[in-house]
Amino acid sequence: MRRAGLLRDYAIAAATVAAVTVATLHWPGTLGLPSAALLLLLPVLLVSARGGIGPSLFAAAAAALAYNFFLLPPQFTLRIHGADNAVSFIVLFAVALVTSRLATALKARERQAQQEAQASAETAKLAALMSGQEDLNAALAKGLVFIEGRQGATRIVSREAMPKDDPAFGPLDLSAAAWAIHNGDMAGHGTNIFPSADWTFLPLGQRGAADVDVVAVARPLQGTRPPPGALRAQVALLAQTRDRLILQEERRERRMLEERDTLRRTLIASLAHDFRSPVTVLRGELEALRLESPAADRALAQAQRLSRKMDDLIGIARIEGGAVRPAPEPVDLVDVVTGALEASGAATAELRIARHVAADLPLVSADPVLLRHVLINLIDNAARHARAMIGIAADEGRGSVVLTVTDDGPGIPEGEEEAIFDRFVRLEGSDRSGGSGLGLAIVKGFCQAMDIDVQASTRASGGACFTLTFPVFGATPS
Amino acid sequence: MSRILVVDDELAIQRLVSAVLARDGHAAVVVGTARAALAEIDRLAPDAAIIDLGLPDRDGLELIAAMRSRLSIPMLVLSARDATSEKIAALDLGADDYVTKPFDGDELLARLRSALRRAGAAPARDAVVRHKGIAVDRGRHKVSMDGRDIALTPREFAVLAALVEAGGRVLTHGAILERVWGRAHVGDVEYLRIVIRALRLKLEIDPSQPLLIRNEPGIGYRMGG
Repeated sequence: MRRAGLLRDYAIAAATVAAVTVATLHWPGTLGLPSAALLLLLPVLLVSARGGIGPSLFAAAAAALAYNFFLLPPQFTLRIHGADNAVSFIVLFAVALVTSRLATALKARERQAQQEAQASAETAKLAALMSGQEDLNAALAKGLVFIEGRQGATRIVSREAMPKDDPAFGPLDLSAAAWAIHNGDMAGHGTNIFPSADWTFLPLGQRGAADVDVVAVARPLQGTRPPPGALRAQVALLAQTRDRLILQEERRERRMLEERDTLRRTLIASLAHDFRSPVTVLRGELEALRLESPAADRALAQAQRLSRKMDDLIGIARIEGGAVRPAPEPVDLVDVVTGALEASGAATAELRIARHVAADLPLVSADPVLLRHVLINLIDNAARHARAMIGIAADEGRGSVVLTVTDDGPGIPEGEEEAIFDRFVRLEGSDRSGGSGLGLAIVKGFCQAMDIDVQASTRASGGACFTLTFPVFGATPS
Repeated sequence: MSRILVVDDELAIQRLVSAVLARDGHAAVVVGTARAALAEIDRLAPDAAIIDLGLPDRDGLELIAAMRSRLSIPMLVLSARDATSEKIAALDLGADDYVTKPFDGDELLARLRSALRRAGAAPARDAVVRHKGIAVDRGRHKVSMDGRDIALTPREFAVLAALVEAGGRVLTHGAILERVWGRAHVGDVEYLRIVIRALRLKLEIDPSQPLLIRNEPGIGYRMGG
């Protein structure tokens, strides 16, 4: 088709040059050489305007030769005499050359504009197709079918699983795919990177964003792909759609999580309220009865224990629900130890308490309410295992403050130092009376939430030792 | 002895609190809603109020603010809510103290006594305020303990004066910091901690087991009873 068109252009060039030459030779009257040269420009312009650098140059050469041979004296030779004649020959050739170049460029630009308009119409069609999509996989599948119908077979290559066993991809293709994934830019056929690959790989993500999945588009069976701008735009559109849908999905999930979180918090709050009110009444009534009956006194002690366990249960629910939000502030360990010991008064009444917490230790960073609960639980645990004594000591370490709670009980069985913090673990032989198995789990949970390190060990002298390591509060006040 | 307005919607708690108050000879006047409380205060003229935060018609915090704008009687919060932020909000809105459920009857009575005592005392016009053996002379900026003069820095003096003026009432960290250091330092709890330490070293028998200046975890300080 194109070849036939080209031949016709050459024929036209030859025919018009011949016609003009003949017409000039047989001009009635006399025609000056400059006019003859101008007349010979006409076929060159005509052929150039039709486009094609070859026919234009052929026309220019033919016109120049015809001028030289038939018209320039000495006629019927290719020799040139005189400067004027040489100049007119050269100008004729130059004009022919420039005109043909200009016309050809114009034609090419026109063709390109047409292609671009077509491509953007296609892209707009794809955009319309994508805008209605709500499901990620369906949207991608539709988009790929669209591209396949216009550009060639498509695949998606996941950045996690290179298709090494896929016979469609040769080693060169795999290298191009890896490059595209790693650099977030297109590679393979039709690009400057691995141009001899059989596929073109386009990143399915923001341009330049590394480590993204890529779309592979097969090279056309015949010829080469037109400039890949349109393809790039279409794949970018797919990427946009994918990002939008992923974002939508994330937002939906987040909303669901938030709702679940709110529900959980409400549950914990109402749990707390629903338990506390009856226990309050129970304790209050027993308190009133205590004066009259020793049984009421014992019942009151149990009611107090119940409310302590209830606090543990609510604490565990908060840890489980991720509802522990520590509000750290500079804390004086003297305050926390004093408060916790007072709250544990009944449990420790028959024990000796060795307390070494200096009044001038650095302040530590912790949530005072959570830390108080942690200490109460550690003291409670020590009181249940101690024979006669509990020790509470704080020391300054390197950039930290270390608080230990010790007892003179049987200690922790070897190898159980971690497990002791698990929920509902009550170590054999070490459980004398009514731990819920939750106390130490809360210690661990709250400490983790506050970034405080907690360790359990057995002292050389026997007896358990729980060690809390606090970060020192940073600023020194003026 | 005194007439106490009890605002709580739960019948069992109403009866319990009334019984506890009766132990100290107080007469309880019980209402179940915030609206009823606001409607009744003028007629009842209570000497103090005990308020639950979880009321059916209004949040108790709102009620505290509304009542504080009309009355200067002592108000105690009695609530199952134990979040630090709620306690601070209640105190900053004008509550005098905060007791969480489950509560100890004796503790509730003690807090109430301390609040009533403070309210009954002539508004602290005197130059000298006292707590236990401590005398704070605000006119001459002098502090003595059991008759012995104690040298304090200006900040220490200001913090101690604030606590002693408040009697046994808890002062939030923010309230003390604002009064002594100014509004810009309301969040700088460590300033306060350091001054409290210095005060304890000068006043407590054993500064590592403080009895005079008591800490309420996350909330503030009060003078120990």
